[in-house]
Amino acid sequence: MSVALPALLEVDLRVERRAVTVQAGFRLEAGDRLAIFGTSGAGKTTILESIAGLTPLSGGSVRIEGRLVAGKLKGQTALAPRDRQVAIVRQPTTLFPHLTVEQNVAYGVRHSPGRDHVAELLERLGLTVLARARGAALSGGQRQRVALGRALAGPFRVLLLDEPLSAVDLDAREALRLLAIETSLARGAAGILVTHDLAEAQAFADKLGIIDSGRLLQMGGAHEVVLSPVSRRVAELVGYGGFIPVPLTAGRWHAIHPDRVILGSRPERGLVLTGPVISTRPFGARYECTVSDRSGEHFTVHLDEAPPAGEVWMMTALDPPVVGA
Amino acid sequence: MRSTAPAGSMAATGVVPSFPIASRLVARGSTVLALLGALVIWLALLGPFAVLIKNLSFHSIRAALGPPGALEPLWISLGASAVALGVMILFGTPLAYLLARGRLPLARIVELGVMLPLMMPPLVIGLLLIFLIGPEGTLGNLLADIHLTGVNTFFALVVAEFYEAAPFYVLGAHAAFASVDPRIEQDATLLGDRPLQAFVRITLPLAAPGLATGLATAWARAMGAFGAVIIIAYYPRGLPNQIFIAFQEFGLSGALPFALLLVVAALPLPILAYLWSARTRARVAGVETT
Repeated sequence: MSVALPALLEVDLRVERRAVTVQAGFRLEAGDRLAIFGTSGAGKTTILESIAGLTPLSGGSVRIEGRLVAGKLKGQTALAPRDRQVAIVRQPTTLFPHLTVEQNVAYGVRHSPGRDHVAELLERLGLTVLARARGAALSGGQRQRVALGRALAGPFRVLLLDEPLSAVDLDAREALRLLAIETSLARGAAGILVTHDLAEAQAFADKLGIIDSGRLLQMGGAHEVVLSPVSRRVAELVGYGGFIPVPLTAGRWHAIHPDRVILGSRPERGLVLTGPVISTRPFGARYECTVSDRSGEHFTVHLDEAPPAGEVWMMTALDPPVVGA
Repeated sequence: MRSTAPAGSMAATGVVPSFPIASRLVARGSTVLALLGALVIWLALLGPFAVLIKNLSFHSIRAALGPPGALEPLWISLGASAVALGVMILFGTPLAYLLARGRLPLARIVELGVMLPLMMPPLVIGLLLIFLIGPEGTLGNLLADIHLTGVNTFFALVVAEFYEAAPFYVLGAHAAFASVDPRIEQDATLLGDRPLQAFVRITLPLAAPGLATGLATAWARAMGAFGAVIIIAYYPRGLPNQIFIAFQEFGLSGALPFALLLVVAALPLPILAYLWSARTRARVAGVETT
């Protein structure tokens, strides 16, 4: 048992689902933002829903400001979802179809001072011209904006976002993300984003948790987890594509990230790899090449120049982490 | 508007293989059948209305409805139907909601019980009701203690109408509530609503078109209830009874004015409910019709 002061959000939960048992434990303080990243079916949504009160816990507890909100402890009863001070954006997005965009956003606002705030919120969501439209007239991205606005408008201490921007155009995401972060900070809240988009996770959060088959495999700084994965599985999930066996050490690999490879031999900056280029293809404004190492391992790299296929090239993987199974 | 031109031009250029011609024939054939079906239904259902209007003379209406007390059956039918509807809304709404949300133990059996009156001949229901609430009946004895009897009273009329009409409301309301996504209700409670608030702010407005249709159907059934009514509530004389009696005593010309009265009294509510719910549905679906 911890004797420290209660954190804003303390999670230590177990939820048994048909396919997988989800287990997660973490603490967030006011102003913290955590992104939980993993493939679909890993249990990301289950964590959010059990914090919000939509999925009962099989064990453990969830506390907000030291108050038990979910789980069983003697002498304390869990709180109803509406009393948890939690705001959530769920997937798929469901709006109140009989209400206008403005009424949807204002739904959870109980006091009149909040009304001015709603107009400002609509403006920042880019929904002012659609204020009187109903859900059926909106695109998927617009519906997500309304759902985000609806969650941000009311009072909350914990903000839960389940892929909230997945249908929003890429160039509009930055502004909406900023809106979510600012509002969350202004409320003194903690935020959790779950996503299968690593860039989205890093853009939102300062902490990153990697979940796989219901278990949080690693948690740490948003950049740190990607640079120093604790296991081969975590490395695979955050994008490492090549695993070069460490000589004389069974079950240890140098993990090669496609974005952290440069052409040329620079032994002082990392691991020098030599091998033929198998194939090269355009990748956005850069090139994606499949390369074979001396050890026979294939891996993919993203480069500024396109080495012709068939030639042997030297490359340097920048400070590749060494991971175990 | 016909839009056969693009299909024809595509066939002419040979882009579309030959089978769409067969499918177009099927489409045309089914359109003809649908139109014929609509015609038959309109004739079968609306024909009698035309006949009713055609065979009524102003003179016969005044002769039948003019005398003092002639409108008494109308007031009785309106009163009894209103009471039956009120009881239906009070008890049927929560029942339909719990059925729709699957939160009722033995839901299938409860549902079957609700549908049973629909499957039973109304005359038989009337006979069975005598056993239940008549002076010699099981409940009848209890009713006698509070000076009520279930035969030939306003109370009996309400019970008989309730029996014939309530299933239409409960089943309609069940379907209406089932069409409301429970996730949307959840969203409302997550935004701070108590369950009752969420029901009033979200569930009720979304189910309202279906509820209105169910209520309107039930109203029309209650106003026109006859089979069970004539057995246990010959008196007080409601409109359907009055029609039957007038028909027996004076023939068609005597009965038709009351038939017109019943139609005029029973129909506006269902028609208004239908128009309103169609408009509300279209509005929520994003098709503004103002």
